[in-house]
Amino acid sequence: MATLIRSKLSNVATSVSNKSQAKVSGMFARMGFQAATDEEAVGFVHCDDLDMEHRQGLQMDILKSDASEEGAEPPLEGDIHYQRDGTGPLPPSASKDEGICSELSSQAKPKITAWEAGWNVTNAIQGMFVLGLPYAILHGGYLGLFLIIFAAVVCCYTGKILIACLYEENEDGEIVRVRDSYVDIANACCAPRFPKLGGRIVNVAQIIELVMTCILYVVVSGNLMYNSFPNLPVSQKSWSIIATAVLLPCAFLKNLKAVSKFSLLCTLAHFVINILVIAYCLSRARDWAWDKVKFYIDVKKFPISIGIIVFSYTSQIFLPSLEGNMQHPKEFHCMMNWTHIAACILKGLFALVAYLTWADETKEVITDNLPSTIRAVVNLFLVSKALLSYPLPFFAAVEVLEKSLFQDGNRAVFPNCYGGDGRIKSWGLALRCALVVFTLLMAIYVPHFALLMGLTGSLTGAGLCFLLPSLFHLKLLWRKLMWHHVFFDVAIFVIGGICSVSGFIHSLEGLIEAYGSNIED
Amino acid sequence: MDVRLGAALLRVPGLLCLVHAMARIGAEQEVENLSGLSTSPEKDIFVVRDNGTTCLMAEFAAKLMIPYDVSASNYVDLITEEAEIPLARGAEVRGKCGTTESELQISWLDKVYTLKLYFVKEGHNTTKRQEAVWKMNKIQFVYDSSERTYFKDAVNPGKHTANSHHLSALLTPAGKSYECQAQQTISLITSDHQRTVTLLLSEVRIQPFDISADFVFSEEHKCPVDEREQLEETLPLILGLILGLMIVITICIYHIHHKLTANQVQLPRDRSQYKHMG
Repeated sequence: MATLIRSKLSNVATSVSNKSQAKVSGMFARMGFQAATDEEAVGFVHCDDLDMEHRQGLQMDILKSDASEEGAEPPLEGDIHYQRDGTGPLPPSASKDEGICSELSSQAKPKITAWEAGWNVTNAIQGMFVLGLPYAILHGGYLGLFLIIFAAVVCCYTGKILIACLYEENEDGEIVRVRDSYVDIANACCAPRFPKLGGRIVNVAQIIELVMTCILYVVVSGNLMYNSFPNLPVSQKSWSIIATAVLLPCAFLKNLKAVSKFSLLCTLAHFVINILVIAYCLSRARDWAWDKVKFYIDVKKFPISIGIIVFSYTSQIFLPSLEGNMQHPKEFHCMMNWTHIAACILKGLFALVAYLTWADETKEVITDNLPSTIRAVVNLFLVSKALLSYPLPFFAAVEVLEKSLFQDGNRAVFPNCYGGDGRIKSWGLALRCALVVFTLLMAIYVPHFALLMGLTGSLTGAGLCFLLPSLFHLKLLWRKLMWHHVFFDVAIFVIGGICSVSGFIHSLEGLIEAYGSNIED
Repeated sequence: MDVRLGAALLRVPGLLCLVHAMARIGAEQEVENLSGLSTSPEKDIFVVRDNGTTCLMAEFAAKLMIPYDVSASNYVDLITEEAEIPLARGAEVRGKCGTTESELQISWLDKVYTLKLYFVKEGHNTTKRQEAVWKMNKIQFVYDSSERTYFKDAVNPGKHTANSHHLSALLTPAGKSYECQAQQTISLITSDHQRTVTLLLSEVRIQPFDISADFVFSEEHKCPVDEREQLEETLPLILGLILGLMIVITICIYHIHHKLTANQVQLPRDRSQYKHMG
């Protein structure tokens, strides 16, 4: 009996030592391999810092998965790949590497606090579309109000499940962050058969959504300035060019902390606008038309309003990188809850109060109803809000583009934008300026931009915010989900699909009508 | 955008009558039908020639909005309808040219509608020098509301005249032609219950005096609306150029700054500390 136990123990011991030896020798082999390449300097710095973590016996990638890749790659060891047993080798997660490499080669990117992440999320979910909400209530009545609350709940939930997809349980039972971005999640889901397809689709969708958002802010600021000063000989094109000149410093943004400051100012501007309009409406509280809030909906006009309400809560694109940059990622859930509650209350209050003041005369954009003095002030704050909202999607777009197109080695088409000391190279800066100019050109030359954005938003926005998070959550965490999670995910997928299709059809109709009347003119 | 010129701007002094009497050349004046030459379908060209040379040239697109009464379905009340009368193609043109006065008469539909435009040239005595300007000082429109194409079932049909009051439009320095692509609105008062008839002029190019060569307009004088539109169109180009320059300068400065401060960074080449990896 004792011999049995002893033999078992020795077997286990030898197997463990064999495994660890294999790992260590694999590690050495890889290091010797890298010593022969030019990445050695960074590689050794990297290895030294992560040496302690190696010794704690974290799993590493199997060597053959690396050998099958091209040769001159930066090191992949360390805390890069945590795999669940039995799921096979994941494709190397490129994002984690350059995240650590660039962190070490520059000063580590400053982490943002939960408050700063909250300002960023508020910037994303309380956008310009809040001005169209009273019009939505005009056509939707109580259903519109309910939808505002419901959409907030749903989007908060999908944001949380998206972040949950970034984490997996390792063999010690701890939850660790294995993936870094939306692209990684998509790649992980399509892993066995199409390792890159999911990531490519999500990349394209993200870039489209982010660039369209940037262009929309330029269009909106040009339009608002033009309407505020009709007597000047400055046309909308000229105002858009002036707005772009003001936004040019965004090309110098380096990290999320700087962006968070802009988002904070943007949120303040938004509060001021809300307070101004609500105060004015309260001053006319005697005339409120409580009996005009409808119980039925206007079937023709309401679907567009659904689009406005539902897609205004889209912040999921920013969440992975926000959460990754937080000092205390545990505060993420709390931050999501509070930002969505605040957005929901403020939007609901704003929409209801504005609708009650003007009832049937509520116009599509509520500022058209305001008397001209308040309208001028509100317009000014709206312009500043649009300009201050621009850095966040711009920075996210730049990040996505740099990660997918501009990396060292053979992973991407172009070389790295950042030099050895972490500062951006001159041609990298030129490309960022080119992106700003591109948004300007699209803003000037694309007619009916808002309708076009509605069209793409109903595809990419709905996809990234409702369809994909629920899909990925189901696929990646299937084993751990309880029945009500599965039910929610499926329900959100179905509802998101319906909203997307209906939004797409209505935007298409609107675009065809607009282009048709253009051609007639 | 509509540009309202109609409201009584300036008072035309009484020298009009004197000018009428003095400079009238009533010789034979031929007219040309040049409607085929016009560049756009609504625009029409009218030329008055005198002794083999052109003395008055005008091209414009005109439309008149005339209110008239129609009886309602209950046969008791009266509703005001508006007739929209465009200038017909191939209208009859008559005109008189003078050194200080000119007149252009256009009739169509068998003289049922007649539009008369009167131009006068004046010299202003400003402090510095004497400037001559010409302007359109009177418009007369004669119409018959019994005509069936444009007036549907008018009550009390008959011939009416619409006249301008204290008009001073199309002010141009002498020797130049007037050009205005934007739409202008001129109001006329009709003899039919003193209602307002609106004349809409667009794509105007007129020269009633001092035409130097046959069928050739002199140098054009643009209306303020057109000039503003021109400014609006050139401004984006200027701003775009400035923006491009700003970007180029910024990138150059950054590049130079980068090169100057790049030497301070050293990658760690000393690997003696890393030998204990085993």
